[in-house]
Amino acid sequence: MADNDHSEEPTPYIEAIVTYISYVLLAVFGHIRDFLRNKGFEANMIATEPDRTKSFVPLYQNFESFFTRNLYRRIRDCWNRPITTCPGAEFEVMDRDSPDYGWTFRYPGSTTRAVNFGSYNYLGFAESSGYCADAAVAATEMYGCGVGSSRTEVGSLNIHTQLERAMAEYLGTEDAIVFPMGFATNALNMAALVGKGCCILSDELNHSSLVLGSRLTGATIKIFKHNNPADLEAKLREAIVYGQARTRRPFTKILIVVEGVYSMEGSIVRLPEIIALKKRYQAYLYLDEAHSIGALGTSGRGVVDYYGCDPRDVDVLMGTFTKSFGGAGGYIAGSSRLVRHVRQSSHSAIYGASMPAPVAAQILTALNILLGRAGPPDEGKRRLRQLSVNAQYMRARLHQLGLIVYGDRDSPVVPFMIFMPGKVAAFARLSLAHGLGIVVVGYPATPIIEARARICLSAAHSLDMIDRSVQVIDKLSRLLRIRYSRRQPPDWTRDRTRAWAEAQLAEFSRPLAPTHVASSANGVALIGA
Amino acid sequence: MQVGTAHSDPNPNHVYFNSRGIWATYVIFIFITHFIVLSIPFISMALAWTLTCQIHNVITYFWLHWEKGAPFEPLDQGESRTLTHWEQLDDGVQFTANKKFLLVVPIVIFLLTTFYTRYDQIHFLVNALSLVLLAIVPKLPQLYRVRIFGINKW
Repeated sequence: MADNDHSEEPTPYIEAIVTYISYVLLAVFGHIRDFLRNKGFEANMIATEPDRTKSFVPLYQNFESFFTRNLYRRIRDCWNRPITTCPGAEFEVMDRDSPDYGWTFRYPGSTTRAVNFGSYNYLGFAESSGYCADAAVAATEMYGCGVGSSRTEVGSLNIHTQLERAMAEYLGTEDAIVFPMGFATNALNMAALVGKGCCILSDELNHSSLVLGSRLTGATIKIFKHNNPADLEAKLREAIVYGQARTRRPFTKILIVVEGVYSMEGSIVRLPEIIALKKRYQAYLYLDEAHSIGALGTSGRGVVDYYGCDPRDVDVLMGTFTKSFGGAGGYIAGSSRLVRHVRQSSHSAIYGASMPAPVAAQILTALNILLGRAGPPDEGKRRLRQLSVNAQYMRARLHQLGLIVYGDRDSPVVPFMIFMPGKVAAFARLSLAHGLGIVVVGYPATPIIEARARICLSAAHSLDMIDRSVQVIDKLSRLLRIRYSRRQPPDWTRDRTRAWAEAQLAEFSRPLAPTHVASSANGVALIGA
Repeated sequence: MQVGTAHSDPNPNHVYFNSRGIWATYVIFIFITHFIVLSIPFISMALAWTLTCQIHNVITYFWLHWEKGAPFEPLDQGESRTLTHWEQLDDGVQFTANKKFLLVVPIVIFLLTTFYTRYDQIHFLVNALSLVLLAIVPKLPQLYRVRIFGINKW
């Protein structure tokens, strides 16, 4: 996969300086406005301490909310946008405006129809009608909505066992266990695998669930540069040679924690090299496939399938059902010894409630469709091919526009750089006005000079939707002048044209089933706006 | 506001000074201040340089050594709430490139100022005092996390 051997284009120098100057300007104005508000020249809409507690030791530091008050609040209509329909290929976003610059919102009651590039709906299973929804309804009628207990008590349904067996077969491992919450799968189960006296080698850009899980174990955490096997090797050697701090005793276990696809960068992990390293230095590998299960690989079996590696080489295969399967929850798969141990010692399995039946039914049906055992013939293959084509086509078109696009060729997450905070807000607002629902992220969630917009492709998107969206992004990128790329588009983008995309999809000649979008009147009535 | 973040470092204040072009931006801001001061017509050259030196030392003192915590809520559960920005930079590691740079810049400005004020006694005294008290002493590793007389402790 030579297309993974590229490094991301760094932020151009002048744009970095302009970005810093923007933040300093925003900070200066923030201080001025704070001063005016404190002295009473301007209406103070912030929560302040009542008079009787003014002499107490302050509960919160005023400075900590500086960013939220003076930067985030002014553009907060770009985030937390409520939607009124199922988040399929398109959705309806509730309109809202703010007469007081972000302190309060007014809802006129109308909605905007937009293409959904924000949901992690990689295989298009976020549907409110169809095979999966029917199965979920049937499961609700049989088992009810909740489970009312944990796995170790009376909360194990036969549907859980079916799902676990299906996942183990799908992934090519001996056994699997499912959990009702994906974040908790990472956070609560790492402590069952490693503890004090072990070493965790964690990628720099790992998700906060992995960071939290690593911290809860009590092990020594070392961080290696993002997707950099050379740095990982150096840190591995250091861990083995020097052992634990102060006592120099050897670590009992070394666990390498990586993700399949990194959701902020769109990069795919360099799995073959990391597996080679782990075998050479006898470490264990924990692979979080939250964004890659179902989205990568010819049969959708994730990043292990994408590279053609042996699933038995990865010690702990973890993933979530939220993204590609349209459900919720996570799984851990591996050898039967590992899964048996996790069943007995996982906090989530022993104390937390188990996965609700309709969710399990949704995931099981989605899995069966993927494997070709349910639904229309070849539906699974069609969705996988559509996702792969959509991702490559969109990425190629954005590269050709001249935007700085991060990530690898086949990854369904396509982030492109915007850098300046003002442009980030402008892009978010303009793209919604033009019918695109794109998520933007800025500092401090990303590094200070890497604010970006992120597109998540889905098998539910059609090529026409992508063409229309690229036209809008073309117009907006020219208006906002965010075509910063100084490099030529990569070679592979040259033949990813509309004709190529249609040829790839030609064998599935059946037209796309439209995603069922509930009417907005229902949605608004439910919320009571 | 680190929503959806994928960071292993809980406080972005630790690392942002390593970003591309931030040293140059710092120097550019000093130039801008100096040009603004220079463009005021009735200020002599010596006074302009002294003013630049003083403004720079005072502003960087407040930015680096007075304001504590971060302008957003970092994920470190309040550990950095009592730390000034200087103590947060590079996660408290001393003698890093950033810290050497931030120590050298006020010294360079002071040297230029003594030259342009033609070594006048009063200007020298004022600039030297502000350099030592506001710019050098707080940056010494011996004063890491030290609060004299408990000033600015919480």
